Amino acid sequence: MRAAIGDNARVLRYAFISAMADLRAIYTWRTWTFAWLLRMLAQVSMFALLGKMLGSAARTQYLLVGNAVLVMAFAVLAICASTAWERMAGTLPLLIASPTAPFVVFAGRSVQWLLDGVGCSLVSLFLLAPLFGVRLPMPAALLVVPLVVLIAVSVYCFGLVLASIALRAMRLRSLIANTGSLSLMVLAGVQVSVSFWPAPVQYLANVLPLTHGLQAVREVLADGRLADIGRQAALECSVALGWLVLAGLAFRHLAESGRRDGSIEFGG
Amino acid sequence: MSTGENVAEAVEIEQLSRTYQRKRDEQPRLALDHVELRIQSGEVHGLLGPNGAGKTTLCKILSTVLLPTSGTVRVAGHDVVTETDAVRRLIGIAFGGERGLYTRLTARQNLMYWSALYRQSSREARTRVGSLLHRVGLADRADERVETFSRGMKQRLHLARALVGDPRVLILDEPTVGMDPVAARDFRVLVGELRTEGRTILITTHDMAEAEAVCDRVSLIDGGRLVATEDPRTIGRWLSAYERITAEVVGSDLADRLQQLPGVAAVRTEGPGRVIVETDAEGACAEVLRVLVGAGVTSISTGRPTLEDVYLKVVGDRGLVVR
Repeated sequence: MRAAIGDNARVLRYAFISAMADLRAIYTWRTWTFAWLLRMLAQVSMFALLGKMLGSAARTQYLLVGNAVLVMAFAVLAICASTAWERMAGTLPLLIASPTAPFVVFAGRSVQWLLDGVGCSLVSLFLLAPLFGVRLPMPAALLVVPLVVLIAVSVYCFGLVLASIALRAMRLRSLIANTGSLSLMVLAGVQVSVSFWPAPVQYLANVLPLTHGLQAVREVLADGRLADIGRQAALECSVALGWLVLAGLAFRHLAESGRRDGSIEFGG
Repeated sequence: MSTGENVAEAVEIEQLSRTYQRKRDEQPRLALDHVELRIQSGEVHGLLGPNGAGKTTLCKILSTVLLPTSGTVRVAGHDVVTETDAVRRLIGIAFGGERGLYTRLTARQNLMYWSALYRQSSREARTRVGSLLHRVGLADRADERVETFSRGMKQRLHLARALVGDPRVLILDEPTVGMDPVAARDFRVLVGELRTEGRTILITTHDMAEAEAVCDRVSLIDGGRLVATEDPRTIGRWLSAYERITAEVVGSDLADRLQQLPGVAAVRTEGPGRVIVETDAEGACAEVLRVLVGAGVTSISTGRPTLEDVYLKVVGDRGLVVR
């Protein structure tokens, strides 16, 4: 058991090195800051301005906090693209044919987006909140940092499931990622409260990542009780775990169905 | 080398068939048709065939990334369907082209990554990776990103990656595609070294010269069927026996004379005065040329048959007997 954990840890370590190499190839710190981050700040500002236009400080806070956390999901769901790179690079059949479950590789393959997403989210929140007059109660507001990390991990687990689908339906990978991020944007309590939706949609929202974590962030910024914050964080953890288990099953299914139907091609 | 049961046959394939059907309403396409093949431990076995013959399908099944439709395949005594994990520890795979590597990582990082996937300890991996980089001549470039490598260097790294798990059976699918002649020669030397280590190698290729150079036995595969399994020198003799001579301005009398020559398989007329003579015996080509030149014909060209021509001959001679 200990040996298996050690083996998987080594695989994850090299998957992480590969992920960071990808990140360095895609962004320099300048292009990340002045292109990607700026685009995210513009998106959050646009929604916060809608709140301002409505003349409601509460609305402004709701939209700013929701969208500042949401931009992390946009970044993290790039996992659909980076997972698909394995097929394009021709490494997928080699992973399937190795003695390690491909899920372990894929779990570590896209962690660069976690750093990207958490960075975008925290900068958006802590930079824009004062500009839009949103109060950040210090030092309690610092609790938002681990909560955003937790939400990012949860979205990552959700993204792994989407990525396993994208790996099967390569041409639809952008559509799958966008459907995932838009679902979170609409249903997870970012723009409107979850209670706005009919009951069946609320059930769905409650099993999506972000929903409970975002609620915990809102509780922190509203000086909420630690018990309430902890409960929402625990629910987010449960949701993350559920998606992680589903992702493990999805990748196993991908490998097995690929073996059956011949969709795992040598060289691509 | 990875340990496995000490079986004499590294690969046993019995009545292996594989069909593909992408859509339910689509007619199933037969990629492998009742293939029977046994490869001894330590043998270098070539699989020759044109595109779409079924070579890669066979490699994919041996690599455990594709399930057979029927039949059984065992690697070192382990069934590829029911003992997948055991098989995966015993095999190494490399395919031609530039894909299959993490180009943003260095050569060393690539190999360390794959050694982790093959469950090697860090210490074991460092030693093995260092020695493999030396072996494939990449030690000086070990810490450079693969995206800066030439195609030949990537191919060598591919081979090193296939060896990282210390496999007992190596599956090389068109490994020299795109290699320059020097790299291809180095590759052949390396295959020879691997054979002396007792590894079993299955190599698919279009290139008869390559098969002759490195293989102990060669199987011809066409349309999913194993047409013949022979010593590569035998197939080389077939290639030298089957030649084609094209001549212009040849009268019908001369064409008839050519048809009577020993070793002439066929004489076809294509257009006015143009004949194509096919031979199927060594020395027949020289005799045909002598007769043509003696008759004053000066527009003559000769050509070696393609592998496809040889398959057709072999299929004709053997009546699709599967060995």
